Amino acid sequence: MSSEIFNPNPTIFAPSKAKKAAHAYAKPHSLWLDDGEQTEDEEYDQSDEPEGIDQDEIFELIRSISDPEHRSMSLEQLAVVSAPQITFDPKYPDRITVEFTPTVPHCGMSTFIGLSIRVRLLRSLPQRFKVDIKVKPGSHQSEHALNKQLNDKERVAAALENPALLEVLEQCLSTVGEGEHGHEH
Amino acid sequence: MTERIDRLVRTWIASEQEQEIEEAASEIAQGNATLLSLVKSLGEYLTSEEDDLRTKGVEFLSLVLAKCPQEKLNRQSVRVLTMFFCGKLEDTETIIPALKGLVTLTKLPAFTSIDAVEVIKAIFTHVKMKVLVQSQRFMVFTIVDGLVARHREAFKALGDEFIREYINLAEGEKDPRNLMLAFAIDRVLVIEFDVQKHIEDIFNITFCYFPITFRPPPNDPYGISTDDLKGALRSCLYATPAFGPLAIPLFLEKLTAGSPVTKKDTLQTLDVSLPVYGPAVARENARKLWNCLKLEIFQPTDSETEEKALKTTQVLIHTIYAANETAGSDSAEIEGLAKDACDECIQILREPEKSQAQHAIKVLCAFMSTTPSVARFTLARAVPHLVKLFHNPDELPNRAPTLRLLADLIEAARKSTSEDPEVLPEEGNVPLSPYKDEVLGVLTVGLKTPASALPAIDGLKSMVRTAGLLTDEELGFVVHNVNEILQKDEDESEISDASLDLLCTVSSFASSHVSNNTLPLLFTSLPDKAPTREAEADRIRYWRTLAYLKKLCTHPELFETLVVRLSTKLDLLCISSASNDEQSSIDLEPSAAYAHSILKTLADVLSVKIDLGHADVVKYIDRLVPRLYNLFIYSALLAEEKPMPATDPRLLAVAAQIITLVTQTLNVVRQESFIKAVFAAYLDGDVSQLVEGVQKIPTDKRFTPLQPGASTAQKNLVVLFAAAGIALHKDVSLPVPDETALLNNLLQWTADSAENALQREAVTHLISAILNRHADKLEAFLSTNIADFWQARIADGTVTVDARRNAISTFTWVSKALLVRGHPTAMANVDRLFELFDDDKVNWDAARAIGLIPGPDKILTKKNHAVTRILYAQKYCNAVLPRIIDGAKASQSTRQNAFLVALAALIKSVPKSTYTDQMTSLMPLLLRGLDLPDNEIRASVIDTLQAAATSAGKDNTLLAEHAASLVSTMLKNSMVSHMPSVRVRVAALRYLATLPEVVRYDVLHPQKATVVRELARVLDDPKRAVRKEAVEARTNCSPVEHHEWV
Repeated sequence: MSSEIFNPNPTIFAPSKAKKAAHAYAKPHSLWLDDGEQTEDEEYDQSDEPEGIDQDEIFELIRSISDPEHRSMSLEQLAVVSAPQITFDPKYPDRITVEFTPTVPHCGMSTFIGLSIRVRLLRSLPQRFKVDIKVKPGSHQSEHALNKQLNDKERVAAALENPALLEVLEQCLSTVGEGEHGHEH
Repeated sequence: MTERIDRLVRTWIASEQEQEIEEAASEIAQGNATLLSLVKSLGEYLTSEEDDLRTKGVEFLSLVLAKCPQEKLNRQSVRVLTMFFCGKLEDTETIIPALKGLVTLTKLPAFTSIDAVEVIKAIFTHVKMKVLVQSQRFMVFTIVDGLVARHREAFKALGDEFIREYINLAEGEKDPRNLMLAFAIDRVLVIEFDVQKHIEDIFNITFCYFPITFRPPPNDPYGISTDDLKGALRSCLYATPAFGPLAIPLFLEKLTAGSPVTKKDTLQTLDVSLPVYGPAVARENARKLWNCLKLEIFQPTDSETEEKALKTTQVLIHTIYAANETAGSDSAEIEGLAKDACDECIQILREPEKSQAQHAIKVLCAFMSTTPSVARFTLARAVPHLVKLFHNPDELPNRAPTLRLLADLIEAARKSTSEDPEVLPEEGNVPLSPYKDEVLGVLTVGLKTPASALPAIDGLKSMVRTAGLLTDEELGFVVHNVNEILQKDEDESEISDASLDLLCTVSSFASSHVSNNTLPLLFTSLPDKAPTREAEADRIRYWRTLAYLKKLCTHPELFETLVVRLSTKLDLLCISSASNDEQSSIDLEPSAAYAHSILKTLADVLSVKIDLGHADVVKYIDRLVPRLYNLFIYSALLAEEKPMPATDPRLLAVAAQIITLVTQTLNVVRQESFIKAVFAAYLDGDVSQLVEGVQKIPTDKRFTPLQPGASTAQKNLVVLFAAAGIALHKDVSLPVPDETALLNNLLQWTADSAENALQREAVTHLISAILNRHADKLEAFLSTNIADFWQARIADGTVTVDARRNAISTFTWVSKALLVRGHPTAMANVDRLFELFDDDKVNWDAARAIGLIPGPDKILTKKNHAVTRILYAQKYCNAVLPRIIDGAKASQSTRQNAFLVALAALIKSVPKSTYTDQMTSLMPLLLRGLDLPDNEIRASVIDTLQAAATSAGKDNTLLAEHAASLVSTMLKNSMVSHMPSVRVRVAALRYLATLPEVVRYDVLHPQKATVVRELARVLDDPKRAVRKEAVEARTNCSPVEHHEWV
């Protein structure tokens, strides 16, 4: 890790708001207000209807990764990642592209950020998914090299064998699943 | 006489036993000998040529001295002994026992200042600290500490010499126990002695210990913590202003180069030291200190250090400026650090959207709680700047962050003035007053845009809460603007929540604005008729409006309006929607659902009000309860002709909740008159005392809900009968001649007349509540009626299984009522349930009942005035758990499983503490419970294991022992292919996520690869809730550091 600071004063964005829709008041397709007295078993939808993995669920996985340069802030707060930047291949439902936006075009941390997203998804998504990680077109001076590096299996594996790098990576990933998005139990 | 002492001396010299010391001391205490005669007896040893004997001689004297009663030591003997021990300090062989003697002597009342000077001089002359070990130096410090405490004036008279010699003595000490004493002495010296000439030396022997890095060894016998030592040292460091010029450079160095712990210690020390060092020193070093503090604030290593640095900044500013202000130069122009730092921050605030701005505003907020003139100065710089920024068209996209900064500042300004809520600030003396118009202006503009609405609301809330800032008219203006936000039909829930919160704040001290402006708007938007089944958007709208009302209407005045408006709406809805002629074609469910939502709103607000202790709840026994009985009885009677919405059981449940809530708050007298009216209606059909309302109860129909032939709608109304009866005080007597007969009738009714679970449960709850209050006068019922009920309805195998199950459930509630009040019959009932374990048809039900009996419920509660004994669940477990454990181990399989079911049900319903000490024998049984073919049981077993795992702490040997089988069972229960229940899968995954935190690394290591591989499959579970837990569990397994799976 170099000690150079690439962006000492990044812009901060408010996290996206959770909207309260009908399900906040009642169960789907019900006329009746939830009385909040359901037992633990009713807490979960016991129907067999499968719930597919969608954009929001994947975003939930990566939004709270810490920024390597500003550890107290998440990638979401710095608008490095966002839900719309996660896309599914219309032909192959198991192919996903995750795009991220470095805060400055000369950001030397971009490889690392990409790597942290890669590792998080490697650990949290089913193996059938194939994930492409890219920087937003035009957002980085060495965009092409970066994209190549992030999707090169061997280079990713080699990076993960560097203990110093791995340590920082774990630190940035230690915030995932925390805070308001953690489970309420 | 002296012979005896001589003998004791000789024996002790030879054997060194405690006994001789005791005896010698008691000889002296009884007056048979004196200490001086003891000295004589010791004579030959005290002057012996043999080093060892001299040591022992003095040692014996010191030991006996320590045991002697104080009154045996007169002035004369103290004097002689002092000289004697001082003399022995010269001899390296006797110095240690001599110190021991002096420890005792110096504490005596007969020990004078003259002796003190002599002792201290002898110590200074003869004691070489470097050759003594820790415990011996401890004696020296103890002596000096005691002397400084008692003979301070005598030492002051010694002047410089004393200070100089003490510094020599104390220099280089390293032991924490000794340092605790040394620091205490240092502080006294610095404060009370004239140390001007030696200030640098004292600085050196104290500040050399800063920062304290000592960490107590495990099982430290002296129990000195790092914080003890830090505190003792710190109290030296700020003992005198004279340390200031010497100390600041040292602190600066530690702030620049120290570890995070050192930095925090330094900041805390600065907080207490700067005010003592004074404004001159603070001003002189202001720049340097600020440069260090700034670094910690703008590039914080962690939030704790950041907070501490902000606090220190506050102290620094306060120290510099407070002095001027007390001198009266209030209006003086602010110069120096406050101005410079303020300007720096304003500079950074030019980019309000950037991360540095968040740190800058924290500094300015910290300034608000320093001195009034600095606060005024800060506001005069920052507020106009932010307002200007907001109005700048180029900064339009940054309005939200700008308002966020402004809101933070307003809140800080509010906090700086509201320390004493009793004292209202003088007119115009609120710091924000000069800017309130422009601030109110930008906040209300910000309110109009969703992106900036939240910070605008926060800012307004802080303004509203600032005492003496806004006029009543301005409050009305705020409420008006917030109403507009609420009315906008968008589901920006966060904004609505914040708006409501603001309105609640206003209504807590100026409710008229909300009741006159907000409420009418909300009531108007509630439809008179229920939206149709398809009109979901309209339905969501009324739900949202009701949710708003629920949040707003806890205030007594507002609640009164709410009750009037909603109960009127309820009547309209339930009566007129039914009075249509073409009854059959009308869909009543939307009306019923709307009515349900309205009732639920009332119930929820009542519940909140009761928790807040509002006294006005009582009056709704007259204003609301009779209207509810009227509506429901009227509807049930008319339901015999046409469908009525208010016969729906869901409405009854909420109405029951309201009736119980109001009943809870009544006193005994009022409860008695109320229950009399209820009984007259339910038992005699006379509803006149109970109901009140627009719709008159038809006289041609009879209200007879407890008669066997009553209609379902009437029978369902037992729900409202029970609702009135379950919250009675134990002193309320029931208006019936024979309570046993009443209870037995009700008991038979549950079995013979009840048509559904709703009715049966309601009456069962009522029986349980009555029994709980009056068991002592119901012996006949308990001995005869209950026994008959058991024989006829439960034990009899020819009765249908469903009927037996229902009867077991009623029996459970009877036992519950008795158990919570500690009645002995409860345990006899449990014995009966155990008898059913051989009965294949109902043994699991009996087993579950055993678990349910001590469990929490919503009927026999404190709020409902139930009679309860403390620790009843504990006593129950102590009696039942061993029986279950034995049964599960010993018996054959059908019985065994019943015991496992009982176990699972029991531990689910009792507090953890009741079974924790049995965990070792429970663990194998619980693991077997996880194989039972019942998902509910499995889930509760996993929950129990989870609770046990997290409470037992790290290195849990019991878990370690079972780790392998726990892991494989949990993995199996987390796979959708093996386990259809989402709840069980989630519970199992949560357990797996916990394991690495509570079981040692080497124990889990062999499982790791399997867990990571198997969980990869669970990541593809069809349910989102399960996937989320799988990610969590797998993440806990993956990281390299501080997690144990790898």
